[in-house]
Amino acid sequence: MANTILTIPESINIMSKTIGPAIKERDPKPIQKMAIEQQEAGGDIQDLNLGPARKAGDEMMAWLVKTVEEVSDLPLALDSTNTVAIEAGLKASKTPERCILNSISAQPASLEDRMPLVKKYNCQFVALTLSDEGIPRDVNERGMCAAEIYGKALEYDIPAESMYIDPIVLPVCVDPGQVASFLEFLPLIPDFAPGAKSTCGLSNISNGTPTELRHYLNRAYQAMHIYLGIYSSIVDAYDEEMMALCKGKIPAVTDLTKTLMEGGDVDAASLRPELQVYYRSIKCLMGNVLYSHSWIEDLVDKLDKDWFK
Amino acid sequence: MAFSALTEKYSGKMGTLTIGSGDQAVTVGGQATMPFATFDGELPNKPLIAMEVYDVVDPEWPAAVVDPFKDVINDPIAWAKKNISEYGAKAICLQLASTDPNGENKDAAYAADLVGKMLAAIDVPLLVWGSGNVEKDAEVLAKVCEVNEGKNLLVGPAVEENYKKIAAACLGYGHAVVSQSPIDVNMAKQMNILISNLGLPMEKIIMEPSTGALGYGVEYSYSVMERISLAALAQNDDKMQAPIINDLGKECWKAREVKLTEEEEPSFGPDMEKRGVLWEATTGIDMLLSGSNLLIMRNPKAVKLVEECIDELMA
Repeated sequence: MANTILTIPESINIMSKTIGPAIKERDPKPIQKMAIEQQEAGGDIQDLNLGPARKAGDEMMAWLVKTVEEVSDLPLALDSTNTVAIEAGLKASKTPERCILNSISAQPASLEDRMPLVKKYNCQFVALTLSDEGIPRDVNERGMCAAEIYGKALEYDIPAESMYIDPIVLPVCVDPGQVASFLEFLPLIPDFAPGAKSTCGLSNISNGTPTELRHYLNRAYQAMHIYLGIYSSIVDAYDEEMMALCKGKIPAVTDLTKTLMEGGDVDAASLRPELQVYYRSIKCLMGNVLYSHSWIEDLVDKLDKDWFK
Repeated sequence: MAFSALTEKYSGKMGTLTIGSGDQAVTVGGQATMPFATFDGELPNKPLIAMEVYDVVDPEWPAAVVDPFKDVINDPIAWAKKNISEYGAKAICLQLASTDPNGENKDAAYAADLVGKMLAAIDVPLLVWGSGNVEKDAEVLAKVCEVNEGKNLLVGPAVEENYKKIAAACLGYGHAVVSQSPIDVNMAKQMNILISNLGLPMEKIIMEPSTGALGYGVEYSYSVMERISLAALAQNDDKMQAPIINDLGKECWKAREVKLTEEEEPSFGPDMEKRGVLWEATTGIDMLLSGSNLLIMRNPKAVKLVEECIDELMA
């Protein structure tokens, strides 16, 4: 299985304290700086997240697309719940066929409104496994949502390869059953939607976890996703260790993850502290150990942030 | 081939907690099996019921929990004695309701003194419960611990905002602590980690997962407790191997279904006592079936019902 995945940096987001005001004031500098940094950090696709963008979302997205394309030649993921804004972004892009519409869910309104855009602009899209009944509770419901969206795409003669299935990451401290369900579903994607790719909003796994510890959990979950063959992931490009992991540059983590995911075990105490963090996080995420906010408390002071270089 | 029943074997077992000292000490917990599944593993200690005694009673209490104590309701020590001699209480929980700053706001010295008098008057283990005011409880319970050093009280509830002071006092003066968390299995574990990091061993901790009465979230408590038990037994998670306590009397007796008269709600029928007793007993049994080791209850008839149920399930 390939050890590298496509990364979709997440920081150009209207919720950000620097980016939010810059978008509203149409100040290109902080946005372009971030776009360049994300590309230099090894990002593959720039996610432009406008959130609901209810007011003048179309102008905002069109401006944002042009602003980013001036400095970065990466494809863009246009992320908003406002469909008009998404279309404005597709129109504004130099290469709409390289864009990813983020996202289309299995909700009938989303399918009806958005699938025609994918057809019209010949772009790609994220298929979010969410239906009118809400977030799927298990693997089967995830599969049903994926199949629903897949079916709709075929109706429009859209190739499965244009589809990035997002099985929805939910926080480990909310429901470890959902963490397990996601992991179980990932390898089944080729069965539910042959040809489709996969992605996810990774950092939701650590929602509710103390902020300074979130990236440890995110990286471990990423290592597990990579092992299971995920195609791409929405990530923090400023997290160097994460980016190295996504590019297959930390074989020690790849090996440890493989051992644990295949049901093996290792003597955790013999591992260096940085790998013990992965070990413990993976054990929590696999559901073998109950997560608590102190899961790596005794290790954090011993960590070298450049250990993987 | 002879029939052999399949049994579930667990890698871990629940820790124990001992309350009280000398001959009157009682131990709970220690089970190596899910609730009452005696065919799967050892269940060495019977669940215990502590009967409540208040130092001030809310005038809203329904008759079913006033009448049994009418003659002693203004004297917590006489009330405790009556619970023991007449109603067979095997442990007492003194609820320090009068220390609530939004009520009588009695001070820590008063509480510590009352606990001392109670200890001298009764011969069963004593639990001491704060009013639920985070800051005041820290002050009151720390003083209770200090003044009654070495009596191995069970003191609580300690929550995220005040556990340091309460758990430290338990550690310093030889008591056990109730680690309370807001119906969240991860937080339950986190509280145990935080408290044991202060130096209090797991044998001195009991978990209160936040108890919902029947009709008021009992199912949430139920599933959290089931998950706690599974983490302790199946995952052998040492930070989850503290027994479980449920403070359910006060939750049950404030339920609407227990308080309304027949005039107010004809469909509930005339027998308010029976309604209340069943409400409390059902909640208690639910808690036992999801892994509780210690219940705090109010009405003597409800206590008797639950004890009968325990005896039958342990037989």
